[in-house]
Amino acid sequence: MNSLVQRFSTSSSTPLAALHKAAKVVTEEDDDFSDAAWGSEAGFGNIAKGVPSFAVPAVADPTAFLRLHTDDHADPSCRIKIQHGTTTLAFRFKGGVIVAVDSRATAGSYIASGTVKKVIEINPYLLGTMAGGAADCQYWETYLGMHCRLHELRNKERISVSAASKFLSNLVYSYKGMGLSMGTMICGWDKTGPSIFYVDSDGTRLKGDLFSVGSGSTFAYGVLDQGYHWDLTDEEAQELGRRSIYAAGHRDAFSGNTVNLYHVKEHGWEFIGNYDVNKLHYDGPGNVAGSPGHGYGYDIRVEGLSSANPPVAAAA
Amino acid sequence: MDHFPTNWGRPRAEGFDAYATHPIHQRPSNTPRDAFSAGVQRTQQPIVTGTSVLALKYKDGIMMAADNLASYGSLARFKDVHRLQAVGTNTIVGAGGDMSDFQYIQRMLDELVIDEFTAQDGHSLGPAEIHEYLSQVMYARRSKMNPLWNSLLVGGFTDGKKFLAYVDLLGTTYSATTLATGYGSMIAQPLLRKAVEGREDVLTEEEARKIIQECMRVLYYRDARSLDKYQVATVTAEGVKISDSLYLETSWSFAEGIRGYGAQTQ
Amino acid sequence: MTQQPQQHAFNPYTENGGTILAIAGADFTVIAGDTRQSEGYSIQTRYAPKVFKLTDKAVLAVNGFAADGNMFVKKVKQRLEWYRHAHAKDMPIRSIARLIQTMLYARRFFPYYVYNILGGIEEDGTGAVYSFDPVGSYEREACRAAGAAQALVQPFLDNQIYFKNQTPAPGTVFPQHLPLSTVLEIVIDSFTGATERHIEVGDGLEMYVVLSKNSNALQGLRADAHSFQEVTSTADGERVFVIRRDLKKD
Repeated sequence: MNSLVQRFSTSSSTPLAALHKAAKVVTEEDDDFSDAAWGSEAGFGNIAKGVPSFAVPAVADPTAFLRLHTDDHADPSCRIKIQHGTTTLAFRFKGGVIVAVDSRATAGSYIASGTVKKVIEINPYLLGTMAGGAADCQYWETYLGMHCRLHELRNKERISVSAASKFLSNLVYSYKGMGLSMGTMICGWDKTGPSIFYVDSDGTRLKGDLFSVGSGSTFAYGVLDQGYHWDLTDEEAQELGRRSIYAAGHRDAFSGNTVNLYHVKEHGWEFIGNYDVNKLHYDGPGNVAGSPGHGYGYDIRVEGLSSANPPVAAAA
Repeated sequence: MDHFPTNWGRPRAEGFDAYATHPIHQRPSNTPRDAFSAGVQRTQQPIVTGTSVLALKYKDGIMMAADNLASYGSLARFKDVHRLQAVGTNTIVGAGGDMSDFQYIQRMLDELVIDEFTAQDGHSLGPAEIHEYLSQVMYARRSKMNPLWNSLLVGGFTDGKKFLAYVDLLGTTYSATTLATGYGSMIAQPLLRKAVEGREDVLTEEEARKIIQECMRVLYYRDARSLDKYQVATVTAEGVKISDSLYLETSWSFAEGIRGYGAQTQ
Repeated sequence: MTQQPQQHAFNPYTENGGTILAIAGADFTVIAGDTRQSEGYSIQTRYAPKVFKLTDKAVLAVNGFAADGNMFVKKVKQRLEWYRHAHAKDMPIRSIARLIQTMLYARRFFPYYVYNILGGIEEDGTGAVYSFDPVGSYEREACRAAGAAQALVQPFLDNQIYFKNQTPAPGTVFPQHLPLSTVLEIVIDSFTGATERHIEVGDGLEMYVVLSKNSNALQGLRADAHSFQEVTSTADGERVFVIRRDLKKD
């Protein structure tokens, strides 16, 4: 993987040489498949050779080329629209890790999808979240899953959340500056207990108790910080995750549709449920653990008190 | 990458947050604005160019036409250039765009035909195969960011079937009963469609020639990079025939009566 | 960031218009696309297919830059053929979906400017639609529209397929899956509507219908309503049909 970066690092070669090398890359794409490509490995796309390889346009600055034609976050004038994720959160508490995300994908101001799975199930013990480029997150976290399995086979034990997240962060760091865009939280339970690592495409990797990522993160943090403490019960924690994503979906135009809620426990993750943000606003999450029993919207709290909804006596 | 997670999933251009709904911090503007046209500067470009190529299907096969001009910018530089080439026994290729790139394509096609002939395996290349080959070459070159700057028409006749298709510098391909490249696609194509569509199995060669001639004339009146000297090729069951250069009869006398058309004295 | 002029700045992309869509039923899937190919205001041809049969269980629709689309379909078909040689069976649709992801992502830094919708029959016999972005992020859905008139067609599908913004009559519920005849009507209405309101859509409509094994989705269809042309190529049990219709040509 590092070879790609070396190929374009300005320090090691002259621009002309770099150009020449880059030109070679395009032809490499499908010229030399191993014999394995004819057999069962044919299904592996660009990982048929074990390590993924990428076609790069034969221009002096491939990154500028990519920026020109694609949108790293939804420039409406770019035609190649890459789907983008928006609000995600995860926090650690005594009962494990709560992971909650919204399900909206936008391309410019168009809502490309309202049913995106932004929690990527890497394996039964690891979850990754999706913010930034949807394909970048999906692809590299799937790839991470393959390597987590290889780690299990080689070492006869599960990979730690720390090691898995470091693998991912090293991986994306090797493509730094080439236009990848991902902000993810790797969540799981290992020998050390529940843990969360924030990893982004800059190569940043942070261990922490509580993160929120994406355009709606500030709204989510507002609710999350206010309600968070270590000794939350499972029900309270799930409700907090749900309520936080709802807040982001309510106030951030680029987040919304539905909430997906996961809970990572000692024996792996568990999918708690999918909740329509609109329903949460008016009716609440329904008959689930931790439910307040009514809608999250404040209409109920101003019933008969606000000018828009005046007391019955005044209305009469 | 954008370091501000609050930007993710949001439009990049400032114009798209006209009401500053997000006051957290100044969002960086990663212009260029119109990425597809304004942001692109062409450093590589065609030099000596040919203009439109026209083609249509008629009763006996296909007919194709192109004028004999190769321009150098606005200069009518070469006036006896052949832009229609026979490939094998039943295919014709017509080219618009860069003439040096077309000559390179001609050399490739010649080599291809010779190789195929030398093999003596009972196969020969028909128009569909030539078109497929050209589209692969054109697409491969565009993917190397080093295009062959041409729009090509490929026409032919094999086993009683007419073939007519287009390919250009981007590798874009399509086929239809009438085709035209360059200015011809805007000026001549509507005329061709009106005259040919639905009649491709009844049009006689004579009628087809008249249609082609009329289109070439209209083009000569309006396309400043065209010439009144042109060639017409046909591919039928009898094989490929490329005519000698023909001349268009034109009349410019009407210009006198139109203010702003010709040289005005007052 | 300083933007330096590019060395060979030749623009390798264009946009060729058109629209595609796919809808999954309980035991069938419909994948459709118009046949117009255009560039700017010029119609290049009135018949350029955008929907391709991959196997008897999978049909792929491509939209965006036509040259990239055709090349991509060609490469997917090549991979599927290799798979057939190695395994003596057709690749299941969920695997084709993952294959398409890796193939698109291989061009992450020089993307195929193509929106893909894959429709067909899952191994469990259910109808499936997978939709992709140009660099390979994908999702299984019940329906999806893409291309020039995506923003016109998708809201219509949301309303007609997912019953968004509709309330069921008292004492009733919306059906989970619609019958084939209804789905075909919705597809035709989507395209006639898009043809009316979008200049890049029109000329012709190609609808592929993929039926799961022992599906009786064809029953109840009026025989004269649509001209089905069967294009099934194996005896696996799944069947594929094409229906061609005219759209307005102006």
